[in-house]
Amino acid sequence: MSERRPYVRAQPRDWWARKPYLGYTLRELTGVGVVLYGGILLAGLISLARGPEAFEGFRSFLTSPLSLLIHLLLLAVMIWHVVTWFQTMPKTMPKLIANGRHVPQQKLTLAGVGIAAVCSAALIAAFLIAGALP
Amino acid sequence: MSEVPTSEIMERTKTIELRVLRYRPVSDHEPVFQAYQVPYSDDMSVLQVLQSVKDTQDGTLSFRWSCRMAICGSCGMMINGDPRLACNTFVRDLAPNPVTVEPLRNFPIERDLVVTVGDFVKKIESIYPYIIPKTPKSIEAGEYLQTPAQMAAYESFSDCINCMLCYAACPQFGANPDFIGPGAMALLQRYNGDSRDGGQQLRLDSIAGEDGVWSCTAVGVCSDACPKQVDPANAVNQNKTKSALDFFLRFIRPKDQGAGAKS
Repeated sequence: MSERRPYVRAQPRDWWARKPYLGYTLRELTGVGVVLYGGILLAGLISLARGPEAFEGFRSFLTSPLSLLIHLLLLAVMIWHVVTWFQTMPKTMPKLIANGRHVPQQKLTLAGVGIAAVCSAALIAAFLIAGALP
Repeated sequence: MSEVPTSEIMERTKTIELRVLRYRPVSDHEPVFQAYQVPYSDDMSVLQVLQSVKDTQDGTLSFRWSCRMAICGSCGMMINGDPRLACNTFVRDLAPNPVTVEPLRNFPIERDLVVTVGDFVKKIESIYPYIIPKTPKSIEAGEYLQTPAQMAAYESFSDCINCMLCYAACPQFGANPDFIGPGAMALLQRYNGDSRDGGQQLRLDSIAGEDGVWSCTAVGVCSDACPKQVDPANAVNQNKTKSALDFFLRFIRPKDQGAGAKS
C-alpha cells in the first residue's frame, strides 16, 4: 500500500546570503548607497539655505579625509549600481527586434552603461570648464 | 578471466560517489542522504548514473525521466546545489568530487527525487494557455497570418519545456508558493506577445496582485537556470510594467470593456 505524505522543506532564512543570490543582494544594497549620497547632497543644500557660515562648514567637511573615503566608497557603490541597473534593464522591457532579430541584452547593457559614462564625463568636463572661467 | 571485452560501449573504469537525498513517505520522517559508489565512464550523464544505481544497486530509488536529451523537462533536480537537468549534466564535469543530488528546491517532495507538480500545472492552466483570436474567423476565411518579425516577438517564450528549474531557482517562489512564478509567466508572454491573440486583458487580470507578477523582485536567477534560454525573468518583468500601466489605465478605460475582468 502506498501513502502520500509530501515533505515540504523550509526555505533557509539566509537564502539571500548564499551563492547564486549574493550578487542580487549586493545589487539591491547599492540602493542604500544611492540614498546615502542623496543625503549628503541634501545636507549641502540645507547648509546653503542656512547661510554662508553653514555652507563653509559643509565645504570643510567635504575636504576632510573621512569625507574623501566616504565618497570613494560611494563612487564604487554607484558604479556597481549603474552597471547592474543596466544589466537588469533589458529584462524589464519588451524584446527589441531589429531586422527581424532580437537585439542581444548584452548590447543594450553596454549601450546604457556607455551613455551613462559619456554623460558623467560631459558633466565633469562642464564643471571643470565652468570652474576655470573668470 | 573475468575481463569483459568492450565494444562500442565505453568502459566504466572510474568511480563516483553519488549522494542522493532520499525520502520514503511510508518509512522516513524526513529526507536523509544516502551515498552510492557508482562506476562511470566519461560519456555518462548524472541521469545515467542514477539509472545505473537503480538497475544494479538499489531498485527503490525513485526519479523522473523520459527523453534523455533535454527536451521533455522531466529530470530536473538539484545537482551540487544548482537546479539542472540530470540528462545534460555530465559526471566528468563534476568528478572526482562527490556529486550531491536533491529533489528540486521549493517543491514538496513526494518520494526521493520526485516532487509535487500539481500546483505548477494549475498555474499554467490559469493563464489561458491558448490563442484567443481577436476576431474569430471561419475555416473558409483562411488562416491567421503572421510575419517573421511578429513571430520573433514571442517565439523564444514558446521554447519552455516545463522543467520547473526556474521555480527551483526562484527565492520568491520559495517564500510564496502561490506566486505565479517564472515558467507560467513565460507561457503567458508566449500568448500575450502573439500578434494573432486577443486575450491580453484577460491574462493581465489573472496576474495582477501579490500572487501574480508582483512577488518578483527581479532576482534574475531563473533565467540563468533555464536550460532553453527562455529568459523567464524578462517575461515576468515586462509584464510588471504592463500590469502597472493597466492599474492606472483602468480609471480612464470605459467600464465593461475588459471581458471577464475580475474586480
